[in-house]
Amino acid sequence: MSGSLHLGDFTSAANVYGAGGMPRYYGDALVASAASDPRVVALGADLSAPTETDVIRDAMPDRFFMVGIQEANLIGVASGMAKMGDIPFANSFSVFLTRRCYDQIAMQVAYPKANVKLAGFLPGLSTLLGVSHQAIDDIALMRALPNMTIIEPGGPDQIVPAVKAAIEIDGPVYLRLQRADRPLQKDQTLPPFELGKAQTLKDGADVAIVASGLMIGQARQAATKLSKRGISTAVVNLHTIKPLDRNAITQWARRCQLIVTAENHSIIGGLGSAVAEVLAEENAGARLVRVGLKDRFAEGGSLPYLLQKYRMSADAIVEAVVEAS
Amino acid sequence: MASNLEQIANWIRRRDLQSVYEAGAGHVGGEMSVIDILTALYFRILSVNPEQPQDPDRDRLVLSKGHTANALYVVLAKRGFIPQDEISTFLKPMSRLNGHPNRTKVPGIETNTGPLGHGLPVAVGMAKAAKLDKAAWRTFVITGDGEMQEGSNWEAIMAAAQFGLDNLTLIIDHNRLQQGARLLDTNNLAPFAPKLEAFGWAVEEIDGHDMDAICAALSSETVVKGKPKCVVAHTNKGQGISFMSDNVAWHHKVPDSVQYEQAMKELEGTAS
Ligand SMILES: Cc1ncc(C[n+]2csc(CCOP(=O)(O)OP(=O)(O)O)c2C)c(N)n1
Ligand SMILES: [Mg+2]
Repeated sequence: MSGSLHLGDFTSAANVYGAGGMPRYYGDALVASAASDPRVVALGADLSAPTETDVIRDAMPDRFFMVGIQEANLIGVASGMAKMGDIPFANSFSVFLTRRCYDQIAMQVAYPKANVKLAGFLPGLSTLLGVSHQAIDDIALMRALPNMTIIEPGGPDQIVPAVKAAIEIDGPVYLRLQRADRPLQKDQTLPPFELGKAQTLKDGADVAIVASGLMIGQARQAATKLSKRGISTAVVNLHTIKPLDRNAITQWARRCQLIVTAENHSIIGGLGSAVAEVLAEENAGARLVRVGLKDRFAEGGSLPYLLQKYRMSADAIVEAVVEAS
Repeated sequence: MASNLEQIANWIRRRDLQSVYEAGAGHVGGEMSVIDILTALYFRILSVNPEQPQDPDRDRLVLSKGHTANALYVVLAKRGFIPQDEISTFLKPMSRLNGHPNRTKVPGIETNTGPLGHGLPVAVGMAKAAKLDKAAWRTFVITGDGEMQEGSNWEAIMAAAQFGLDNLTLIIDHNRLQQGARLLDTNNLAPFAPKLEAFGWAVEEIDGHDMDAICAALSSETVVKGKPKCVVAHTNKGQGISFMSDNVAWHHKVPDSVQYEQAMKELEGTAS
């Protein structure tokens, strides 16, 4: 197990220092956006390299502003700049960006519909650093705020369309981002997405796994395994968690007997809850199983270890389906 | 001849480095800068008993810069709070020794830290509780200098002065570097001393790698009645290892085998 300890963790040297030719989808997308739109600026709270904002800091120093380790102030400054017509991207780890300054986000970003983009990293269990750095409730928090759009790209290559979509929205957006920790393999690439429209990655008739972020990979593996057992399994990328594609969820629920939500987040308040609300309100029929962190704090560990331990791996999804069918 | 405390600190530096190297992760720069302070606290200043980690009369230490947890684990092991064998489990599956300290798992840890700016407010609460009980034990808290950019610290600084918490000592590990750059190029709070003084604290500035100076500044004899105390400890990130010293790249970089050998050799060279 120890061989996989560094996976997906920002402390791995290559990730932090941009060595090894690691693609920097977010950093590059931010620079491209700032180059084509003079309103785009970036704000940092230390953590430049782990949020890839060293790219814009170095390429366009007059468009990057470092406030220091002070996330509450970060949000206030971003809101002020947005109200003056800029499009600020506020960057930090998801956990500090959302939980730490919720009141500032609620009252200075969401309520006044300030054109602030929140770019958070280290989603869910994707860090060795432990509970203090694991954002397990960020989606729940952001989802509860009126006017907030939430996008979690299905993979690093969907970060570019996500940044574009965020800029096109005139209002608050939370981007839940995971950095690429190695060059993408062919079978890991995803088509670009349309904001607000659930994306079918694999069709199926018995079970639909609705997932987001890094759980897309687990869902795809699970679907392959289930199909081999004769259970026809669809995989749906729910990259836009708010506003939710209610139509797509209802249709999947009419078509399949079982919906499985797979999220790198607490099962309370996130994607699983959002889907459950739709199923209940639409009386859509399908059973629902939520895969995710089950109302507990986790611990530090490598991502594969934690996914396995907390029953969120591809195998755990398969088991959940088999148990429910 | 190095003093006993210096020898202990040297051992802790080596064990810390080995642990980060073997785990393949950690925050070695900030660990090297805080180890002398932790050593002085646990081996000279703090009244604590590894046999009774929950002794109600113990002194309290909060490591607010929780990312340097490994240094604290090594110190706690050396002092007998946890088995020394356990250090090698740092960051491993099932280990109690996570990347940030956990109060419910590790004896000797007074509060969970990790999000910067949490430790000082909690320490103010502990010191206030001691006053309430008319207890004699003291509370110490260590923050990073970059960490002091968090506004929560300054709220706590006001509260501590208002409460007159002379049983509280804040040690700022002033190594001039934060995660990605110098404080100077980020949000330059320095100098700290006049700011703390303006908030009503007693302040002392020391060389944070001089054991005698650390012990003197933390001794109960230098407490100023009615005022919380701040010790601005001038330190080096990566202290003791030439190529890490004062180099921001080593905030959470992990040495390769060549760098590890060289760093060990340098530390061994100053071992006694
Ligand atoms: C609230 C919060 N924001 C950001 C971080 C990420 N982070 C971890 S260590 C660090 C830099 C800390 O610098 P400093 O306080 O000077 O510590 P030291 O130099 O002693 O390592 C940052 C930004 C965090 N842990 N908590
Ligand atoms: Mg520092």
